[in-house]
Amino acid sequence: MAEMITIDVLTLDSVQCAACGYMMESIAALPKDVQEMIVYKEWSVKNKDGVGKFMELKGKVLPTICIERDLVFESIIPQYEELIDEMAKRAPSEAIGKRIMSLREVGFQFDKIQENLAKAGSGMHTRVDS
Amino acid sequence: MAKQMLLDAYRGKRTEYAPWVPYAGVHCAHIINEPADKFLQDPEIMAKGIVATAKRYKADGIPLLFDLSVEANSVGCDLKWWPDNVPSVTTHPCSNKTPKEAGLKLPTKDSGRWPVLFKAAKIVKPQLEDLDCAMIGGFCGPLTLGAHLAGVRLFTDVYKHKEFAAEVCKFAGEIGARAAEFYAEMGCDIIASIDPVASQIRPATFREYVTPNSQAAIKIIHDAGITSSFFICGDATKVMDEVCQIGTHGFAIDEQMNMNFIRDLARKYGVGFGGNLKLTLALSLGLLSPREDAIVSLAAGGQHGYTFAPG
Repeated sequence: MAEMITIDVLTLDSVQCAACGYMMESIAALPKDVQEMIVYKEWSVKNKDGVGKFMELKGKVLPTICIERDLVFESIIPQYEELIDEMAKRAPSEAIGKRIMSLREVGFQFDKIQENLAKAGSGMHTRVDS
Repeated sequence: MAKQMLLDAYRGKRTEYAPWVPYAGVHCAHIINEPADKFLQDPEIMAKGIVATAKRYKADGIPLLFDLSVEANSVGCDLKWWPDNVPSVTTHPCSNKTPKEAGLKLPTKDSGRWPVLFKAAKIVKPQLEDLDCAMIGGFCGPLTLGAHLAGVRLFTDVYKHKEFAAEVCKFAGEIGARAAEFYAEMGCDIIASIDPVASQIRPATFREYVTPNSQAAIKIIHDAGITSSFFICGDATKVMDEVCQIGTHGFAIDEQMNMNFIRDLARKYGVGFGGNLKLTLALSLGLLSPREDAIVSLAAGGQHGYTFAPG
């Protein structure tokens, strides 16, 4: 598997909480070329795994976008360019960092959002027993 | 139950004790063993759930609905339904065009689920009156509704494409004003603008897009002699001065805020405040004792403009 940038989104519940939903959507709306370089998942604190991840990453507020285990966007829904810049800073190699920065002017794309959200488990693990 | 005490607290006045509002939402469906999606689309089931929940929790007030997709859906956003949650907005008609270019029209009483709400309110209102319980109407605030209309690009557009963002949020504010009219007509005792994502922006952005686009709805509520509030979620610390000054009688916050900070700020501005029983940590996960958490909230909130409520 190629080197990927890991993004963890700490949420209350991306279905119930609009802010959490748009945090997830900000990642799911990244263009296809960026999607190929990232792996991401929603961690809802409504279940034990989510609470565990919140504690592990030393989360402070919800929602938070963590990139490569850093708490980067805490209660701030990021702009597209901010996301690109923060991912590039934490890229696992110089080549990936440069490739991400080359996509800085592309902007969000909305045609695959639902598909991408499903892949990230968005809204699927938001029950205490999930 | 004590509706007048709740209205007084929402308006920042002293009360004999802290009145209580469960922001029950789709929990009302759970109370009567119905799935959320069915509850939200059937006025009789909705009414049954709301009244049963108000009785069960001895509420001083209860929302008719806590579902921020109603306004978006009534102007054309598609929804994904869930059996145990509110629906999610799945399409954004302004993702690449303005509301005008997308041909969006302000909702009427026949748009989307508004007929369901009018029917449910007609059944619920007299029963809540008998219980001395306030009926609360909550509509989607301008930034959250703007995000439903345009998608996540709105949070970039508020800095990079201000004209577009302004047009979307203005239209969202007009929809909110229409929703406030509908809730007033239904007989709501309290009407709140619910703008959860307004905590996820900077104070200047709040002042530019949220404050002005909330005024039309607030005027409609106040002209009708109805009590107003502004509900915000998340860590809203950075925009709390703006929330206090938006023009509503009060506000409500969630479990992430410090209640002593909130109490002092609300009293400084002379507005009511509500919260912040820990919905996740105490009520859902049980990581904190709900009883002790409640005592902490009640002690901090006191009896001056405070409504005890989940956050």
